[in-house]
Amino acid sequence: MKFITKKPPIVMNSQRTYKKLFTLHFALIVVAIGTVVIKALSKVPETATYTSLDLAFKALAMLVLASVFSVVIEIFYALSEKNTQKFESYKGFVDPINTGLLIALLLPSTTPFYVLALAVFVGVYIGKLVFGGYGFYIFNPALVGVLFANISFNAQLALTNTPLELLKRAIGGESITFKTAELFLGNYNEIAIGSTSVILLALIFIYLLVTRVIDFRISGTFLITVLVITFGVGYINFYAPGDFSVVLSYVLVNMITGLTVFGAVFLISESVSSPTTRETKIIYAVVIGVFMMMVRTLGSQTEGLVFAILFGNMITPLINRTVKRSNAKMLVRTVIACVVIVLLVTVALGLIVQSRLPEVAAIVGGAF
Amino acid sequence: MITEYRTYLNPKKVYLPLTDTQSKIANVLVEVGDEVLIGQKVAEKYHGRVKSPILSTVSGEVVGFEERMDRYGKLTDHIVIENDQKNNTIPYPTYSEKATSGQVRKVISEMGLTKIAIDGLYTDLRFDAKSKFVVVNSIFVNEPFLSTDYDFVTQNSEAIADGIDLLNTAANGKTAYVIVDKYMPAEAMEELGKAIVDKNIELIIIDAKKLKGQDYKFIKSLVKETLHFDLLENGVIYTRVQAVKMIHDAVRNGTPPTTRQVSLTGDGLPVNAVYNVRIGTLFAELVEDLGSYTEVENMTLHIGSFLSGIELENDDFAITESVDAINVAEYRLVEEDVCIKCGDCNDVCPAGILPQNIMDAEIRNLSSRIVELNTNECVECGLCTYVCPSKINVLEWVRRGKRRVG
Ligand code: SF4
Ligand code: SF4
Repeated sequence: MKFITKKPPIVMNSQRTYKKLFTLHFALIVVAIGTVVIKALSKVPETATYTSLDLAFKALAMLVLASVFSVVIEIFYALSEKNTQKFESYKGFVDPINTGLLIALLLPSTTPFYVLALAVFVGVYIGKLVFGGYGFYIFNPALVGVLFANISFNAQLALTNTPLELLKRAIGGESITFKTAELFLGNYNEIAIGSTSVILLALIFIYLLVTRVIDFRISGTFLITVLVITFGVGYINFYAPGDFSVVLSYVLVNMITGLTVFGAVFLISESVSSPTTRETKIIYAVVIGVFMMMVRTLGSQTEGLVFAILFGNMITPLINRTVKRSNAKMLVRTVIACVVIVLLVTVALGLIVQSRLPEVAAIVGGAF
Repeated sequence: MITEYRTYLNPKKVYLPLTDTQSKIANVLVEVGDEVLIGQKVAEKYHGRVKSPILSTVSGEVVGFEERMDRYGKLTDHIVIENDQKNNTIPYPTYSEKATSGQVRKVISEMGLTKIAIDGLYTDLRFDAKSKFVVVNSIFVNEPFLSTDYDFVTQNSEAIADGIDLLNTAANGKTAYVIVDKYMPAEAMEELGKAIVDKNIELIIIDAKKLKGQDYKFIKSLVKETLHFDLLENGVIYTRVQAVKMIHDAVRNGTPPTTRQVSLTGDGLPVNAVYNVRIGTLFAELVEDLGSYTEVENMTLHIGSFLSGIELENDDFAITESVDAINVAEYRLVEEDVCIKCGDCNDVCPAGILPQNIMDAEIRNLSSRIVELNTNECVECGLCTYVCPSKINVLEWVRRGKRRVG
């Protein structure tokens, strides 16, 4: 009797990579549908020449176009490589469609179709295929495409009156009121079509955490970092004795509008371009959170997440290649270091926004 | 699921390998035609200066020497003894209540009890000045499929407790530890609890459903230093309850190890059974006793635990005292995907090293980085491969890394 052999260990658990991709696929489709529905139900300004159904149709068209185009690029690439095997089953289509959907969800509804197509091309070809496809890229392909569109077609994608921009103006001295309920329902000028439905995104967040597609150590740390920094900056700048409401609305606008939640759910926990050990995962998330808040408070851009995540991706190979081991001592050290850094950054950012940093520096300097 | 208990104690011939993975030199003490008794020393094998005996497991006539595959898949000389079915045993001394450390050590080495549990983290039963911790496992940890034979624990609880005590005496240990499962049948737990009350034995309760190298973590918390690939270096003796039962029999009753519990499982066999089998029996005979293989095209044959055992190409080998489980199952090909850098393997590694990063360094041929990542601390538990969602054999890459720098 002859037997087949292979190297042990021979049993594996039931987790499979493609199952994770399918779960993500499902989540993205749910968000895409939710986006279209929200668009259809949203109120349009009285003066507008279009209806909410037009907007919904535009969003739908963007989503479909992006995913189809992404699949087409991958198929052409596979044909040129003479390796089309993977497209024999639906499995092979899942990842291209995911990337396409992500790019569409990350662009605003004013995006012209040619910009969308270019963004998909850059994202899928330069961001992914050039590196060797799924599993090998360094930068999140969707973000590469979106960054390209944001930089090259700044004028076409220009948005006015997004909550974050209003917030920036508020810091500059204008008085602006936010309606909390409207923010939750997504009734505002959003920065990207996918980022509106915060409630839906929160549900998807839980779903993906439970199915272990995303890692709480990345997404959770990121959200906590943003929360702490916004609260601190808000406290330093807007705190009137006994009145937390302005601080809270500052936190709220930063947390639920813009790409914060969308990023936590779909972008920063993307496993291929994020680090592999628990300590570095925490560092990575903190770096992204800090970087994003720096752009948001100090930079000319209102939304810093795309840059921040690409920056995080950039340092990932570096930290992946320098970590040595992972044990309780390292974990404690990392967490303490991260907490200290976040707190320092919070205070610094808060004071810079208030333009009091030179003053503080003088006081500290005087102490010596 | 195990459905039957069977015995197979009277094979026509037994085949005893003269060497194993460590002892490569053997000195044969009998000749063809000699009559031998159960428990008689027929050869001695050497591992450096450590000598261990090979005992005949049947009474009868030595009929020859044969080169054949052993349970490790290596070609080895075997002594072949024909069974005369008379079961004449040579007497061994027995020790009552107060056996000293030296006496127990002597019995263990004279009866060839050093290599009973060999998978994964288990150590040989060798003693030196460093020995101080005794850990005995009553269940399969890090083992997703083999189910533990709790009836064995229930029925032999007294013997097991006594065996642990003896082992502890031999190792000059303070307290011995028994690892049990949180969800083991209440009966087995109760019996074991009753048996250990007045002894220096502590129960360590773990949740065996979670595959997280919990035995490793426990031992690490016990010795409080970096663990070696061979735990003996840390002064830890780690073995299974089957082994301590054999020690009890050897010391108290003077019974040499001639039989073994082996569980045969898998969809390649018509019945899944626990066998009480004579050591030296050919595996093929057991299969015949069960009927035959089921009609499956491609099969694999796996000996020992699923995470750290070995696979053989051929079923023509003899059961030795270190075989505890054999699985014959249909071969299922799992396709490898690319590493998605999820980090699950890094999270699970009980040694606290980073298998994914080691794999990455090995792919890029960076020897210095492999050293830097403490690759030599890997204990080959196999958990990194087990958890990988892309079904990459991460452990194999780590092994390659070890070989490169080691
Ligand atoms: S590298 Fe893998 S086999 Fe080695 S100790 Fe870690 S998990 Fe176990
Ligand atoms: S578990 Fe597998 S896929 Fe995940 S990081 Fe380790 S080797 Fe890569």
